Amino acid sequence: MNLSGRRRVTTVVAVTLAGLAVAVVVGLVVGPTPIGLWRIVGDLFSHVGIGHSTLTPLESTIIWQLRAPRMVLGLLAGAMLAVAGGTYQGVFRNPLADPYLLGVAAGAGLGATVAIVDIGSGTSTPTWTPLLAFAGALGAVAVTWVVGGRGLRATPSTLILAGVAVASLLTSAQTYLQQSSTDSITRVYVWLLGSLGTASWRSVLLVLPYVAVCTVVCVAAGRALDVMSVGEDESRSLGLPVRRVRLLVVAASSLGTAAIVSAVGLIGFVGIIVPHVVRLLVGTSYRRILPISVLAGAAFLVLADTVARTIVAPSELPLGVVTALVGAPVFVLILSVRRPAVR
Amino acid sequence: MNAVVVTGLSVRAGGRDLVSDVSLGVESGTWCTIIGPNGAGKTTLVEAVAGLRRIGAGSISLEGRAVGELSERARAKIVSLVPQHPEVPAGMAVREYVALGRTAHHGLLRGASVRDWTVVDGVLRRLALDEFAQRDVVTLSGGERQRMVLGRALAQSTPVMVLDEPITGLDMRHQIELLELLKKEVAQGGLTVLATLHDLTLAGQFADRLVLLDHGRVVLDGRAADVIRSPELSVAYEMALRVVEVDGTDVVVPARTRLDPS
Repeated sequence: MNLSGRRRVTTVVAVTLAGLAVAVVVGLVVGPTPIGLWRIVGDLFSHVGIGHSTLTPLESTIIWQLRAPRMVLGLLAGAMLAVAGGTYQGVFRNPLADPYLLGVAAGAGLGATVAIVDIGSGTSTPTWTPLLAFAGALGAVAVTWVVGGRGLRATPSTLILAGVAVASLLTSAQTYLQQSSTDSITRVYVWLLGSLGTASWRSVLLVLPYVAVCTVVCVAAGRALDVMSVGEDESRSLGLPVRRVRLLVVAASSLGTAAIVSAVGLIGFVGIIVPHVVRLLVGTSYRRILPISVLAGAAFLVLADTVARTIVAPSELPLGVVTALVGAPVFVLILSVRRPAVR
Repeated sequence: MNAVVVTGLSVRAGGRDLVSDVSLGVESGTWCTIIGPNGAGKTTLVEAVAGLRRIGAGSISLEGRAVGELSERARAKIVSLVPQHPEVPAGMAVREYVALGRTAHHGLLRGASVRDWTVVDGVLRRLALDEFAQRDVVTLSGGERQRMVLGRALAQSTPVMVLDEPITGLDMRHQIELLELLKKEVAQGGLTVLATLHDLTLAGQFADRLVLLDHGRVVLDGRAADVIRSPELSVAYEMALRVVEVDGTDVVVPARTRLDPS
């Protein structure tokens, strides 16, 4: 990579980091109760014995028990979905791949619907919905992997096709369940469209280990994915254990995605668009795309969530709607300015 | 010493033998070319030697080590491959592409070291690719592209190189140019080459030895000049071939009438 290319990457990283900082501040400051940034910073310092907090107990609760966990969960979800999407695009060498490709979304959707409709016959979404969603997501990917390619002998195209089959099967089962119980249909829809509204420190702690490990694995696989851009046979001849690498990164992306989906529902668009925007800006190497996608995805989702919870306050827009509403124009804009690599 | 030893090799796919009971050895630092009609099993054979095919029966050893028992990484330090239809990943610079050849040396978690880049830049200079070093791989012409793929294989610094129809789609000058570059690596670097080639005249000119493959079996195996002049060649290709000597070089000329199989 030449010097101007390196400068471009530095610029993109700097802008992304600035965006991340803005997202963190906005995620804490913006809301129906106006609380200034400096008073929040003052409160932070007071905890380590410097100065005194000017926050009322109510304000402190709003910041540290509502907005902060929601913001952090948004960072984790955005980072994980973006890096998983980028990884899938690399490992399947398919620009249309997103984290839900192998049935994670359909499996989680079915699991959550079962929890909400069948067993949770009450009027609220049961607290163990995430557990069933998580199980459904992992179960779906496992079935896809077994059907698509007898373990290590899976090829990208058989896996994608098996994913399509498993996803449509589970989605139809989910739709049937959802239609059969009209009184819970709204709650199912709310869950399906994704929301950070139920975020708590507990949900943050639940997904954090998955996101941390899986993100590290995906980012570390960047070099392997770059080698894999010359195809399976050639990368094997270059010394890459292609099948083991594929199994490892698909497992990591799917596990991380399943954890996120079970906590926040199905948030679309982040996983497919963020890595593409990053690719248009910094080139085709996954060693650059993946780490920058982590930062960009985190920032993007928190900003989208801020829009989702403020634009029609006091009610909220579904997060999945906002990610597409904000993301699509941004993507089209960047696509029209920066052409993808010549082909 | 033989760098490549193939013994009784059979490779099956789709219910039939693509290669059956093939045995051959390639002496270290020499060039052996596999010839034969389409569908004779040439590609299967060289891919098996490169470790990319599941072996049905027999064995392949490279530098004295059984190819099936080597890890992908260990094997990639012994044998490199120039495929028939290399994938050209858009957006990658030529220097990065050639550096892919160093993957087995630096591993997946660490990047290319200073030594790796020294090897890469040395290869770029040897193949006169240095002026393209920062160009996107898709902007190269066919000849430059094929030289770049050869560069990646050379950067692998392996004692054995396998090439599958490396000059397909190149004009005459670029064909000769590429083969001359390879010949230099054999003569000066002690590289062992196993290649497939369709052009029989070029095959005869550049290889030390020719092996004629037909229906997955070895029909002829010998000095290039002898194999080129053998009547078996016409039988394998199912057409009359004539050899004409032009300034000391054997030129294989196809006749237009089909040889009667009786």
